[in-house]
Amino acid sequence: MELLLNLTINGLATGMLIFLLAAGLTLIFGLMDVLNFAHGGLFAWGAYSSVWFYSLTESFVIAILGAILTGIILGFITEKLIIKPVYGNHVQQILITLGFMLVLTEMLKVVFGPNQIAAKTPPYFVGSWEFGDVIIIKYRVFIIIVGFLVFGIFQYILKKTKIGLIVRAGVMNKEMVKTLGININNVFLYVFIAGAVLASLGGALMAPYSGVIYAEMGMEFAILGFIVVVIGGMGSFPGSLLAAVLVGLTGSYMAYYVPSLSLAVNMMIMAIVLIFRPQGLFRVKG
Amino acid sequence: MTTKYQWNNIFLTIIVIVLFIFPFVTDSRTWTILLTQIFIFSILAMSYDILLGYTGIVSFGHAMFFGIGAYTTAVMLDRVEPTVGVFILSIATGMVIAGIISFIVGLLTLRLKSHFYAMLTLALSGLFLVLAEKWRSLTSGNDGFTFRAPEVFKDRMVFYLVVLVCLVVVYILLRRFVQSPLGHVLVAVRENEQRTKSLGYKVLHYKVIASIVAGVVASLAGALYAISLRFVNTSVLTMDITLDALLMTIIGGVGTLIGPIIGAGVIELSQHYLSGLAKDYPIFERWIIFFGILYILAVIFFPSGIVGTIRQAFHKRKKPRVVEEKPSNSKGES
Amino acid sequence: MNTMLKVEGVHTYIGQYHILQGVNFEAKEGEVSVLLGRNGAGKTTTLKTILGLTPATKGCITFKGQEITKKPTHVIANSGIGYVPEDQGIFATLTVEENMKVAMRNEDEVTMRKQDYVLDLFPDLKTFWKKDGGLLSGGQKQMLAMARAFVGNSQLLLIDEPSKGLAPIVIEKVMEAIIDMKKQTTIVLVEQNFMMASRIGDTYTLLDDGETVHSGMMQDLIQDEQIKRKYLGIG
Ligand SMILES: Nc1ncnc2c1ncn2[C@@H]1O[C@H](COP(=O)(O)OP(=O)(O)OP(=O)(O)O)[C@@H](O)[C@H]1O
Ligand SMILES: [Mg+2]
Repeated sequence: MELLLNLTINGLATGMLIFLLAAGLTLIFGLMDVLNFAHGGLFAWGAYSSVWFYSLTESFVIAILGAILTGIILGFITEKLIIKPVYGNHVQQILITLGFMLVLTEMLKVVFGPNQIAAKTPPYFVGSWEFGDVIIIKYRVFIIIVGFLVFGIFQYILKKTKIGLIVRAGVMNKEMVKTLGININNVFLYVFIAGAVLASLGGALMAPYSGVIYAEMGMEFAILGFIVVVIGGMGSFPGSLLAAVLVGLTGSYMAYYVPSLSLAVNMMIMAIVLIFRPQGLFRVKG
Repeated sequence: MTTKYQWNNIFLTIIVIVLFIFPFVTDSRTWTILLTQIFIFSILAMSYDILLGYTGIVSFGHAMFFGIGAYTTAVMLDRVEPTVGVFILSIATGMVIAGIISFIVGLLTLRLKSHFYAMLTLALSGLFLVLAEKWRSLTSGNDGFTFRAPEVFKDRMVFYLVVLVCLVVVYILLRRFVQSPLGHVLVAVRENEQRTKSLGYKVLHYKVIASIVAGVVASLAGALYAISLRFVNTSVLTMDITLDALLMTIIGGVGTLIGPIIGAGVIELSQHYLSGLAKDYPIFERWIIFFGILYILAVIFFPSGIVGTIRQAFHKRKKPRVVEEKPSNSKGES
Repeated sequence: MNTMLKVEGVHTYIGQYHILQGVNFEAKEGEVSVLLGRNGAGKTTTLKTILGLTPATKGCITFKGQEITKKPTHVIANSGIGYVPEDQGIFATLTVEENMKVAMRNEDEVTMRKQDYVLDLFPDLKTFWKKDGGLLSGGQKQMLAMARAFVGNSQLLLIDEPSKGLAPIVIEKVMEAIIDMKKQTTIVLVEQNFMMASRIGDTYTLLDDGETVHSGMMQDLIQDEQIKRKYLGIG
């Protein structure tokens, strides 16, 4: 029973991290029709920059803020330099974002060195709570709470604010949004930066969770992110949360019971969804 | 037009002859090995060009087929016996396996839109990598295994010539393929899939054919690669292989066949020199970053690569004359 | 009366296809100008070109004396042009209220008065205020699309085939609404239904094969059996 509970908490925490990555991916795809293969790079940069800020200041808050700042800057650069020039051309988009992923990953090695780096958990999140036989690791609970909080905030923005309204409208019909007098290019930029911030926040939270960070973690997580986006339905924000939790839990249970199959099972789910229900579990576009 | 075509052929023939003579006049081991490597990756890049350049499909899973070829040859030479006969048989086996897998994968996935296809192939090749890492009894996982190549290939020069012959044959066959009616349909798919569909072509069939051809050729490249190292490990299935093929094709020039060969040359050579520089300037340890940047610039500014850009420049110089001729013609008629 | 919109010698390409090959027409303030022509004549493309969705490659479009030919779509829309597309362009998972809100530049008194006005005109929208746009009937979607374009403070409405696929009784309603709206805005209307076009149009422009072939007062067209037969297949 404790085991199951622990696996569940573990899976939920992983799921939340994947969600943070996938949320941006799905919004960017839904609105801009761009599948950003460099998104994992933003995640990895978030992780590295938070570890760097933490080693400098010993403050977890500053580490997170530093990661968010990195996300904003990289998001801005990526949208302006990488996405914009090839807007509307799918093949070029796929090629260029993958190339940028390569550059982001290699840049990490140039700046921070090619080896793994240890990431510390801030003292107040070290340890666990014990309820009888059940041991709950504090930091995992923290991740889960942050994940739900972020979901809540974004859901509020999407549902209740004008910009959220415009984003939801844009996901359905970009041309119509333009004819209503809205400069959709600005909206693209904001959404892209928001997605980048989510990814880098995810990376920052990931670092203490796994204990080590390395440049390739971006691509590894991005693949999970893609799986989630496909399962949840491209452009669906709630869909990505649900699918991320599903993938996180599957990964966690499988990793314990049949470790060699954990990634395979998730890919299998994605393949099945793509083949039989290519629009994902949640359909967004008309 | 015909004369230009003939000149191209004569030019290519001369280059091939020079390359054939090359190992007889020099005994630089480094160069023989480097050129062998370039030829192998040329084959891989050309196979990728069939997908990207001629059919307009972006696959992130091409390493799958390269790896299948590499492992089939390595395992058969290791388990059966290191003879030329087994070598040839292993290449054929690798091609058949690659063909069957690309057929199944293609049939299931090629109906998807470009984004989804790219993503799914990325995931599938990831799956193959995991599989190879776990199936240790066959692959020895990440540690890999060394094996003995057929005795004749011990001579680097012989192997060089064998690979060069493979390259020339593959080039000629693929050239024929893209110039056949089938190849023209592929180009039509790339240019306007919707329109090709409405003209009554079964687009999916053609895409599957393209992916089988690409997969089979890639497996040949993988087999040759394994022999050249006499060693194989899971690195043949990694994203890096796909990225190499992608870079070579894009930088050389998509949809030209000759471009990927030039791209392979450019990249292998600069990789060789840049990693040489790394001793003095550590930044060059990360030489791949330069290719990444070069590649991004190429996608934005020179989407047709080295060969394509040169061809365009060539055509631009010729075009004005054609335009000038037209009005005078119509005047003469009226 | 002042000229609100002027389209002069406009050519438009979509991809490699030369769709518009010389479109000319004018819309005067307070009038309903009707674009006529058979299927594929280029009526929709003309509206899209005015809005910059399929930008003109040649020619000149002026709105309220300002050239808007090469401006981006949102700038053109913000200068005071509203659009009701052929497929209505309703945001399916947004409620009726949210659909209206996306279109509002701000929520000042003028805009709210406009909203009250259109809700009086189309009481159905008030009934389904919190319902998703995708769940509305065809007629209600048409009304929502018109209402939405109207609250965007537009002085000119471009309406593309509002009668398409609607029952006669609903067409009647839409037509009355347009006649009513005409008191407050200028309207360019694409309409195949000649009965409707002739009843509410002040002027007409006839397109064929992407070109303006005739234009003039609607009354004259009603009399002109020859043109009607040649280009519209009626009369
Ligand atoms: N995206 C496009 N690509 C190619 N051709 C197009 C495109 N959009 C429109 N066309 C062509 O442009 C021409 C004009 O189309 P348009 O939609 O403007 O006609 P229309 O007058 O509105 O017709 P209808 O009464 O059927 O709505 C048609 O021949 C159409 O086939
Ligand atoms: Mg139309």
